[in-house]
Amino acid sequence: MRDDERNAQPKQEKREHEALKFYYTPMDEARADDSESNPHAKGATRIPDVIKALVDEFGDVVWNVETYAGEDTVFVEKEKIREVCQFLRDDLGFNYFSDCGGIDRFTEDERYEMFYNLVSLERGKRIRVKIRIEEDDLSVPSVTQVYRAANWNEREAYDMLGIKFDGHPDLRRMYMPEDFEYHPLRKEFPLLGVPGSLPLPPQTPEGELTMDPFAAAHGSKPTKSYLEPKSDYADDTDNE
Amino acid sequence: MATAPQFPGLDFGDKFRFWPKHNEKIYERLDAKHAWIEEKRAAEGDGGMAATEWSEVDPLEHEMILNMGPQHPATHGVLRCVVKLDGETIEKAVLDIGYLHRGIEKLAESKTYQEFMPYTDRMDYLSPYSNNVAWCLAVEKLAGIEIPERAEWIRMIMCELARISSHCLWLGVGLMDAGAVSGFLWTFQQREDIYSIFDEVAGARFTVSHSRIGGVASDLTPRSFELIRAFCDSFKEELARWQKFLNRNRIWIERNKDVGRITKEEAIELGMTGPNLRGSGVEYDIRRFEPYLKYDEVDFTIPIREEGDCLARYFLRLEEMEQSIRIIEQCLDRMPEGPVRADDAKQAYPSKDEVYYSMEGMIHDFMYTDVGTQAPKGANAYHAVESPKGELGFYLTSDGTGRPFRVRINAPSFTNLQGMEYIMEGSLVADTVVIIGSIDPVMGEADK
Repeated sequence: MRDDERNAQPKQEKREHEALKFYYTPMDEARADDSESNPHAKGATRIPDVIKALVDEFGDVVWNVETYAGEDTVFVEKEKIREVCQFLRDDLGFNYFSDCGGIDRFTEDERYEMFYNLVSLERGKRIRVKIRIEEDDLSVPSVTQVYRAANWNEREAYDMLGIKFDGHPDLRRMYMPEDFEYHPLRKEFPLLGVPGSLPLPPQTPEGELTMDPFAAAHGSKPTKSYLEPKSDYADDTDNE
Repeated sequence: MATAPQFPGLDFGDKFRFWPKHNEKIYERLDAKHAWIEEKRAAEGDGGMAATEWSEVDPLEHEMILNMGPQHPATHGVLRCVVKLDGETIEKAVLDIGYLHRGIEKLAESKTYQEFMPYTDRMDYLSPYSNNVAWCLAVEKLAGIEIPERAEWIRMIMCELARISSHCLWLGVGLMDAGAVSGFLWTFQQREDIYSIFDEVAGARFTVSHSRIGGVASDLTPRSFELIRAFCDSFKEELARWQKFLNRNRIWIERNKDVGRITKEEAIELGMTGPNLRGSGVEYDIRRFEPYLKYDEVDFTIPIREEGDCLARYFLRLEEMEQSIRIIEQCLDRMPEGPVRADDAKQAYPSKDEVYYSMEGMIHDFMYTDVGTQAPKGANAYHAVESPKGELGFYLTSDGTGRPFRVRINAPSFTNLQGMEYIMEGSLVADTVVIIGSIDPVMGEADK
């Protein structure tokens, strides 16, 4: 027996408490033909003619069309999103910008997604355009020149996911303070926040800054929001 | 150039950095902003922007920067308006939101679909039922759940009551912004009546959470039918009284007429939604655009106004309340008997009778609480409803588990506030409160 082996502690079985895990049973993959049976599918989102026009105009830029619950999602190349929006607005009448936002797909190859919900008021149709964004290259052409209403939505996506919009007139953070280092809607950002990342004002008039609003959850003692009166019964070590 | 004031926040030194820097950015933005009022002035002149020395532009130093809010009695929540004034005219406006940001979208990712329901109450807290229904419909679309007919009618009644309740508050607070305090008390009396109905139906007055995925929590009681009918009758009279008081009221009209005006093109361009869009003559109402529930089966009109000013939005909202009463009355007449919840343990909670008296019921209840609704992997769906403020939509993405992978909330107040920045430019500073009131933002929703 070698020396190092002899001196080694006999292997003990780890008897640590392990949290009981619950595994969800993932459902089947979404199938396009589900849409026929979906009771909430709407006529306003079926737009084969629009997709055809897009493919005719842009060809390979439109690289996929997904259908679920009667909704068509058109995937286009990231670089061409502004041209696609311009075409949709000017030639196909999608003049009303309803919504846009980002999605963090986390484990997938092209990590981020932006979707644009556009509405044609005259034709009574909706379309959803999506782009995929690589994690290495987070810059996306801004569509604010086409749809002015995209301004705040893009700022929100920038704030929450860190996607940068080229040509945006006012790319400030929407909700978080200007030099907050993180992008909270990314999947790796913890639900309780990063301690110390957002110092809050003192909880008492003379007190220290609150560096961690969820101190207890992060395993330390929380700051009291009031000055506790001294008690005879309180544990002395507690007040240190 | 107007200089940014010094902030006492700088005393915190290196640690407490975000507040001064945040302010700096806002002031930078205010200086750099190309405002609509400049465009208008340029259009009047030779078309070019005035390139003069600052002392020539503003020799008497009329310009000042005014911070309204974040907590101002007329901002309907924590909304901060940083405005650059030229005398009494607002030259540039920058809105700062996010003071109420709770990260609802992030929270939703860690909750099951059913667990997220009470959070929707707290978004647009002036009409919680609409938010509940919007969420339920979005999840039902995502998971392909069909709900019984009676539940749809109940949801419709309650949604319209929520609309009336929200518009009542808007009117009362709007009146108060314009200086009439007693109007606030009258409209709140009506809201109290609606709360009593919610109390009877859902067991809660304010945050109802009554609509559930796969149906509604409980059927309407005979007493609630009585209350709703009584409310419909009394509210019509009350509404007529308000109209008699306000429609030809000189103060009210002069405070509102031609104030906060947006044209049809501007409204579309800015992406305004709800009554603010329809007040400018755009016929866009989700109840007609893509009818949900039973809106395609009831008879109602969607009020449209062309003027696009605060007065138009006032008339429009009052007409909307009338139409809501009309819808409710039709719902009450046409509501069929039947179940109020989907009869499938994978789509909805079992009724409490089942849970208390049968083993299967209890297991289903447990399973549904634990795992909840499951949508297919890779499914995504967007469902919008016409909430009192406008298009309220949820875009959901599923990864096949019982929790949403990503929830994107398209909040009407957020959309409307964005437009308000431009509407304010060129108006008087005294009109700001009227404009904010007339746009009717709820910060709980805008900040999400």
